[in-house]
Amino acid sequence: MARMKFLCDADRCIECNACVTACKNEHEVPWGINRRRVVTLNDGKPGERSISMACMHCTDAPCQAVCPTNAFYTTADGVVLHSKDICIGCGYCFYACPFGAPQYPRVGNFGSRGKMDKCTFCAGGPEADNTVAEYAQYGTNRLAEGKLPLCAEMCSTKSLLAGDGDIIAAIYKERVTKRGYGSGAWGWKTAYRETIAT
Amino acid sequence: MATLSARIGAAVGAILFAVFLTFATPASAQQPTSVNPTASSVQEDKLLQELRRLQGRITIPDQRASVLIQPAGQDWRQFHQVTLHWIGGVAILGMLLLLVVFYAVRGMIKISRGRSGRTITRFSGLERFMHWMTAGTFVVLAISGLNITFGKNLLLPLIGPEAFTAFSQWGKYAHNYLSFAFTIGLVFIFFMWIKDNIPSAADMQWLREGGGIVGNRHPPARRFNAGQKIVYWVVVIGGVALAISGYLLMFPFYGTTISGMQTAQVVHGIFGVLLIAAMLAHIYIGTIGMEGAFEAMSTGDVDLNWAEEHHKLWVDEERKGMPAGGRPATARG
Amino acid sequence: MLIKRTEREARRGMLAASLASQSGGGFDRRTFLRRSGLAAGALAAIGTLPLGGVRKAEAGPPAPPGARVTTTKAVCTHCSVGCTVVAEVANGVWIGQEPGWDSPLNRGSHCAKGAAVRELVHGDRRLRYPIKMVNGQWTRVSWDQAINEIGDKLVAIRQKSGPDAVHWLGSAKFSNEGAYLNRKFAAFWGTNNVDHQARICHSTTVTGVANTWGYGAQTNSYNDIRNAKTIIFMGSNAAEAHPVSLQHVLSGKELNRANMIVFDPRMTRTAAHATEYVRFRSGTDIPVVWGMLWHIFQNKWEDEQFIKQRVFGMDDVRKEVAKWTPDEVERVSGVPGEQLKRVAEMFAKQKPSTFIWCMGATQHTVSTANVRAFCNLILATGNVGGVGLGANIFRGHCNVQGATDLGLDIVTLPLYYGLVEGAWRHWCRVWEVDYNWMQARFVSKPMMEAPGIPSTRWFDAATLPKDQVAQQDNLKAMVVFGHGGNTITRMPKAAEGIEKLELLVVADPHPTTWAALSERKNDTYLLPICTQFECSGSRTASNRSLQWYERVVAPIFESKTDYEVFYLLAKKLGLAEQMFKNIKVENNVPVAEDLLREINRGGFSTGYCGQSPERLKAHMRNQDKFDLVSLRAPKDAPEVGGDYYGLPWPCWGTPAIRHPGTHQLYNTNLHVKDGGGTFRARFGLEYQGKTLLAEGSYSKDSELKDGYPEFTYGVLKKLGWDKDLADAERATIERIGGPNPDAVGWAIDLSGGIQRVCLEHGVIHYGNGKARANAWNLPDPIPTHREPIYTPRPDLVAKYPTYPDVKAQFRVPNIGFSVQKAAVDKGVAKEFPLILTSGRLVEYEGGGEETRSNKWLAELQQDAFIEINPADAAARNIQDGAWVLVSGPEMANGKVCRVKALVTERVGKGVSWMPFHFAGWFQNVDQRGKYPPGTDPIVLGESVNTITTYGFDPATGMQEPKATLCQIRAA
Repeated sequence: MARMKFLCDADRCIECNACVTACKNEHEVPWGINRRRVVTLNDGKPGERSISMACMHCTDAPCQAVCPTNAFYTTADGVVLHSKDICIGCGYCFYACPFGAPQYPRVGNFGSRGKMDKCTFCAGGPEADNTVAEYAQYGTNRLAEGKLPLCAEMCSTKSLLAGDGDIIAAIYKERVTKRGYGSGAWGWKTAYRETIAT
Repeated sequence: MATLSARIGAAVGAILFAVFLTFATPASAQQPTSVNPTASSVQEDKLLQELRRLQGRITIPDQRASVLIQPAGQDWRQFHQVTLHWIGGVAILGMLLLLVVFYAVRGMIKISRGRSGRTITRFSGLERFMHWMTAGTFVVLAISGLNITFGKNLLLPLIGPEAFTAFSQWGKYAHNYLSFAFTIGLVFIFFMWIKDNIPSAADMQWLREGGGIVGNRHPPARRFNAGQKIVYWVVVIGGVALAISGYLLMFPFYGTTISGMQTAQVVHGIFGVLLIAAMLAHIYIGTIGMEGAFEAMSTGDVDLNWAEEHHKLWVDEERKGMPAGGRPATARG
Repeated sequence: MLIKRTEREARRGMLAASLASQSGGGFDRRTFLRRSGLAAGALAAIGTLPLGGVRKAEAGPPAPPGARVTTTKAVCTHCSVGCTVVAEVANGVWIGQEPGWDSPLNRGSHCAKGAAVRELVHGDRRLRYPIKMVNGQWTRVSWDQAINEIGDKLVAIRQKSGPDAVHWLGSAKFSNEGAYLNRKFAAFWGTNNVDHQARICHSTTVTGVANTWGYGAQTNSYNDIRNAKTIIFMGSNAAEAHPVSLQHVLSGKELNRANMIVFDPRMTRTAAHATEYVRFRSGTDIPVVWGMLWHIFQNKWEDEQFIKQRVFGMDDVRKEVAKWTPDEVERVSGVPGEQLKRVAEMFAKQKPSTFIWCMGATQHTVSTANVRAFCNLILATGNVGGVGLGANIFRGHCNVQGATDLGLDIVTLPLYYGLVEGAWRHWCRVWEVDYNWMQARFVSKPMMEAPGIPSTRWFDAATLPKDQVAQQDNLKAMVVFGHGGNTITRMPKAAEGIEKLELLVVADPHPTTWAALSERKNDTYLLPICTQFECSGSRTASNRSLQWYERVVAPIFESKTDYEVFYLLAKKLGLAEQMFKNIKVENNVPVAEDLLREINRGGFSTGYCGQSPERLKAHMRNQDKFDLVSLRAPKDAPEVGGDYYGLPWPCWGTPAIRHPGTHQLYNTNLHVKDGGGTFRARFGLEYQGKTLLAEGSYSKDSELKDGYPEFTYGVLKKLGWDKDLADAERATIERIGGPNPDAVGWAIDLSGGIQRVCLEHGVIHYGNGKARANAWNLPDPIPTHREPIYTPRPDLVAKYPTYPDVKAQFRVPNIGFSVQKAAVDKGVAKEFPLILTSGRLVEYEGGGEETRSNKWLAELQQDAFIEINPADAAARNIQDGAWVLVSGPEMANGKVCRVKALVTERVGKGVSWMPFHFAGWFQNVDQRGKYPPGTDPIVLGESVNTITTYGFDPATGMQEPKATLCQIRAA
């Protein structure tokens, strides 16, 4: 059984933001909602690395644990999804999330939070696959079409990997062995409680 | 408090990170003789050991997105899912148990001389209005707050997800909007009653005698006895803490960071359950716990005998302030 | 938890399984629904509540019920990598984009821009219909009216001021066919005032490189860098400018454990992945390269055999290099000798080594010389003409290579024939027009053969006194197709120039800076042109591969293709019949395939002759057949067997002979029929008594085992190879040659016979010459360091002054020397102590009108900014993210640009950097209201070119936006 994961090989990431706009393009995500983003550490200094980050679809996901309305569910592929019909926009998942993944459209007069939106691993939501209803709330469901998330598929340098955790871990491991360096499988320890030994 | 120390740790970490950034390369880095950016790249495991939070630069204006990884979320989850449940459970259930036991042992505290039939005005209309506005909103805030923390374990299985979400959604709106009324009430309470709630020597005696709760003696008190003063300060301090932390949560990222909001939520949660527990006691003593107490906040007028028993000094003051032979209190009925 | 992982009922497994049952629904969704007590119907209803969805379902997937989804292969319209875009279209609407896995160039990848191209044809901010300005008001007009009025005004200007009073500024975003059409149009109009973005991009590269070894283009390819052991980037921030190229670079770096060395004044995103980063002062490329060569010569690391066999004049370079001791190099450039020695040793010894450069090197007054210095380093170490090495020049726009090739240029007709009479006669033969008729279109024969006014100087030609402009009259009209105004330096001057014009025509999907910059009130026309996704054609990627792309959707709103607008203008001017003699026109739209066939018929000089539309289309169909590294299809592959992907030029002879194209230029290890070659013998047989032909070096299996000159019919005859010509070929040659057929050379032989016969004999028709280390015809035959006009080191100007003033260079004066002297005398460097250099952002491209109008990109860069070092910021009390005011030495007193500060160590102390994509704020004035309503880009900002200053490369007219001075203060 596949356990879907993301892995950003920071030694390949050049902060080109293809993942970001691919996501926007695929799901028509509105301005201000950033399901995926690229953060650069040590900007401008030797040692600088950029890392593309979105929902990591954690094992034993904190968002799922703290959600007051149990809006989250984990699919058989280990993808953490949620129902916007159950979500009340309380913001707790944002406090718990180690990766800043949950996003809230601003609604109402005080800019209070609307229903949470986040990366779906291109797997849609609880509605029937690839229906207008599903698309309107969560974007496309590529997984149901047998495709992987578009951010990773379009990554300019093949830095961002998405897919079966074992496979992408093997790819990363092989890369590090081959080239002799690796700054780490960013977020894996936090999300999956494991690292990729190299 | 593990999470709070973690917060402090995060702050220290952030400072260390800034220092690290400053000194990572010497100021004369203009022309270093050898720079191998690949070899000197940052390492995740090393950064995570050194820092509580990995933050960098991002092109979008939303600077909160510049936090890459904040493992502190896990601590907050631990607090919210375990610690808060325990604190809340122990405080609220413990208080309820205490009150039940107390009621069983002591029953309702009667006015020992019976009702005099004459009353004395204890709270004005404004005072009662403010009390009830604060109290009423507090009840809604408390229920909707408890729902967020305990609802999915207690209520959701009973009513199902659809109804629960609808309830929680309305609860969220109610919690957010009624908070303003609660805060206004709180401000009035603070100013209306502050002068009567300054601790005094008499309070020590009252406390030493246990407020007369055990036994039949009634230590003299002014307008508010030490017990009531404690309730006052619990409400004021707890309420202010709840209001501030609550507004920080309600307006995300106005003057806070993600760790600030986590701290705010910790404060909000702890003060919330403790205040609920305290208010249970307050409600008890104001209703079934004591004969004649409830009238103070319903009609505003209390029986003179009740007043003399519990607030002798206050009654004396009120009398002194009255014209000689004047009416000490409005007689009703 | 609603769903426990142990409760998975549908153990459907991996992707393969989900592929097998696509409609199978997914992953516990039903469980989730059941347990949450929600029926699907109820969910759908709730889904429309305003608090919910991402957006209302519109054009995006899934397709409307019943619509058939078709897939079209297009090519990204941003940079020169040439990424394949796979578009899903339903009911004429582009609903989705999929990775183009089969393309060997991008293998499905994109950058931020490529992943967002779908938005371009949604066109929220596009021009919708023709607009003209009437007394300062934008007014809608019909196409007919617009074309009629523009045509009449052009004719009036022509009558009054001559044909040279009109400048036809074209675009690197044209298709090859569009670029060719624009160039041809200018010829038929009768002027050489025709240019495009290459002027401000790689014009210096083209000139410098072509003058070294024959052709002015990337010698190898992005993919070929996978073979390199040492990779130098100099003035190239490919991570932001060519992100997908980094896929090849970083893979190669990892697999070969290659050295990746980045020379840049700025610690860029590219530098972050280097194994060595070398910071140097802007504008000191030559000292740095000479500094490397100093160590190479000192330690005898050069490739002596290569130099002996294939290089002319290296000894002259040695003399110049000897002056650049490590101390002097460090004094001028700031780079320590030890570091340069280490880097030089790697480049010379850990081969194959490739040298990559971009705008950081090419946008200076000395850039032709910069480029020549790079070539000399490459030649000295024998790093050209093979696999994994060479001059990997990364071009900028998606078709800047093709537009350059097709002569959208002031100095040449299509395909580098130049402007000499022979060139005109060649193209007149191809076009089947009479040479004398063509000459009559011009003011005179000298003007017909005189280079035009470069895009960098058009406003000088419009504003200078008439007697300083070396043509009949000042420029009176600009017809601008797809070219931003804010990418050219000295924008305050451009604003004056725009106001001076009698006619301004902007033909573009967006209004561009041209429409908003000035205070013009009348005679301004905006013509809505569709993007390349709304038409088909071919484009040439940086590696010289041509890719045919299909139209994704029909032109939106009232927009038209470039082809149609040129046709309509030609028709209006009465030129259509002559211009489109051999080109089919359907509904006023010339057929792109026919345009390419005409290019094939005349494109022998550069090997644009073999890439027929049919072959190119076959390549797009068979992308998966091509190897990632060699770019070659197996010999037995159907349709494309043995070809290199995209038939990278030169692809010799007629399409019928099926030359495979040339992956690596000048590669003697391959047979010429397999894409092999030699350095081009284009500079004569000898110079000052020394041979210019190769000595003992020749391409694989060549029948001539030594250097040889260019081929003519006469040379063929001498070798007795003329008997191999077919009768038809011989007839064509003799028809062209008239009384002197022996002089007919390989480039003007329209039969392709000379090329065919040469290839059969294993030789290359352009000759086997030496590359020139000494290019005696250039302003600096041996590259010589010269300080930027506005240098932060006035102390060096006496020793390294810029070029002397010239009265007429490309028809306008170049007074760089006087400007530099005045700047030194006035102490400008004290008042403006910070170096200002400019560059690219990954999200935006060029002038940025298109990308700043794309909401998915605009969100990522919302403010114009200037990078400033923390030390400089602290000294000025500037906080990161705060507004600052930037002023430059040529800005009017009191004028400033208002941008945000980005305090970062990317730039060294004393250096500041700005992206050049912004416009719409001009000297602290918001110009949003000046765009036609609804067409203003989402993001506006100050352009760096409001601050940039005077300075022009004498060989090309290149501007100098990479090394000037500024001052910054807190706002």
